[in-house]
Amino acid sequence: MASKEYDTFILSDLSGVPEDQEMEMILRDLTPTDRRYKYRSFYASAIVSKSESKYPDLLWVRLGRGQLQEKPWSIKIIKEVNKFG
Amino acid sequence: MPYPVFKDNREFIKALEVNNDLVTIQQEVDWDLELGAIVRRVCEKKSASPYFKKIKDYPGFEALGAPLATYKRLAIAMGMNPDASVPEISNEYVRRTTQEPVHPILVEKKKAPCKENIWLNKDADLLKLPGPMVHDGDGGRYLATWHFVVSKDPETASINWGMYRQMVFDEKTMVGPVLPFSDMGKMFYGKYVPKNKPMPFATVIGCDPLSGVAACAPSPIPEDQFAGMLMGRPVELVKCETCDLQVPAHAEIIIEGEVLPNIKIEEAPFGEYTGYRTSPREPRTVYRIKAITFRNNPIMTVSNMGIPTDEGQLLRSFSLGLEMRKLLESQGIPITGVYMLPESTHHLVVVGVKPAYSGIASQIANLVFGSKLSPWFTMVVVVDHETDIYSKDDVIHALCTKCHPSRGIRKYEQAPGTPLYPFADPEERKWSRGSQVLFDCTFPLDWPESDLPIKVSFNNVYPKEVREKVLKNWKSYGFKD
Repeated sequence: MASKEYDTFILSDLSGVPEDQEMEMILRDLTPTDRRYKYRSFYASAIVSKSESKYPDLLWVRLGRGQLQEKPWSIKIIKEVNKFG
Repeated sequence: MPYPVFKDNREFIKALEVNNDLVTIQQEVDWDLELGAIVRRVCEKKSASPYFKKIKDYPGFEALGAPLATYKRLAIAMGMNPDASVPEISNEYVRRTTQEPVHPILVEKKKAPCKENIWLNKDADLLKLPGPMVHDGDGGRYLATWHFVVSKDPETASINWGMYRQMVFDEKTMVGPVLPFSDMGKMFYGKYVPKNKPMPFATVIGCDPLSGVAACAPSPIPEDQFAGMLMGRPVELVKCETCDLQVPAHAEIIIEGEVLPNIKIEEAPFGEYTGYRTSPREPRTVYRIKAITFRNNPIMTVSNMGIPTDEGQLLRSFSLGLEMRKLLESQGIPITGVYMLPESTHHLVVVGVKPAYSGIASQIANLVFGSKLSPWFTMVVVVDHETDIYSKDDVIHALCTKCHPSRGIRKYEQAPGTPLYPFADPEERKWSRGSQVLFDCTFPLDWPESDLPIKVSFNNVYPKEVREKVLKNWKSYGFKD
């Protein structure tokens, strides 16, 4: 199965983002089965790596004003987190 | 007296077509950037409004782009001659909005087209609506770009309609900035949040054009009455499905829900009215939805904020300037007019005045900077009554020749601002701090007449008979203009 793709906005220095540690983040689904759900956002507990191949899915990174970084990272989503009860 | 205006978006679309100000796009357009790119180019070229008949992934939905991004479209919306000048439109707007308020009327649900389809509870899914990805790099899909949000004061029951942008987060959630000095901000953060109470809201998309204009206007009159004043007849409202708010019966799409008091989630970035993507992605106000109602074959309305001119810039400039005009006239200041240049992204206001006494420019600045309108603009240019406030050439000439680079400029520090100012530093944006400036382009009254510079123009330095002769013979000299 082809890997899925997500993106996220990182507002801090990219070098400070912890790799290989579970953390909570907001992701947007870029490759949903139903295209109407593209860019659906959700909170997730996930592990990321700046290596494109380490984890099963691709993670594109944008900075605070939407600037897309050239190379994707990889991500493993542990679970979706529901913030609204 | 009813004016020849439009009860809904669909009548307005027909009027745009009749006036050759509409391009109907039959080919399928992608909601993911393509639609936004078309609207953006339309704004930059001042082209006709695009009417999208087929939106990818969303059969049955249509969209109107840049519905009011030009003065021509505003004139059409007001039921005026499409070629009406800005002063003519302004005078008509002021005339209509200084009469008695026109209260809305409530109609039955069966007479309200916006109830033709009702999605409740699990069926109410924001991603089933074709919210466009307006600009590449935006924080999400913005369903609400040309729309308004209805809310009600829990103590006074006063109704507010305001344009607060809303980004789709997930199926049930929207998020957007509600600045604390805005009408809804004062209501929500001042009266609901302290009691930890959710605030009912209804987002209205695809309303009749003058209800949209009213929602943009910073008037003290409740917008549902202000819209009636612009139309010359009551706005027809209908009760919401899940709360006691009322919404325009002829609107295309209504989204109902609650603004949550105890949570914020990240919103933005977004291409904004200043022409930049400025305000940071940060936790902002959360809207959870309960219902969506809509007309058959609903027509979204899509604005695209960016470099001038979009409807936010044009209409906000228009109505801000005219509210300042009402304020200054109410104080007896001998102004000749107020004009806010849309190209300034409503940051610069030009006030024409007969300089009847010393310090009049400062008095004007103090009044407008001291009003509730002030966070939305930063520069006041006061010119004399001989300067055409609607002419950029005239205003630039006055600014560069009459404003003393030291004595003519006065700064106002520690003013309220917005996080959207591109020139503000990150701390100023974070705390919505601003600064403002007055450019006094009037000559001091204490200069002797013999020392006053004389403006050198065709109208000013030739005798009447010479001007008339030149004008009479202009074409015979060989000029074609």
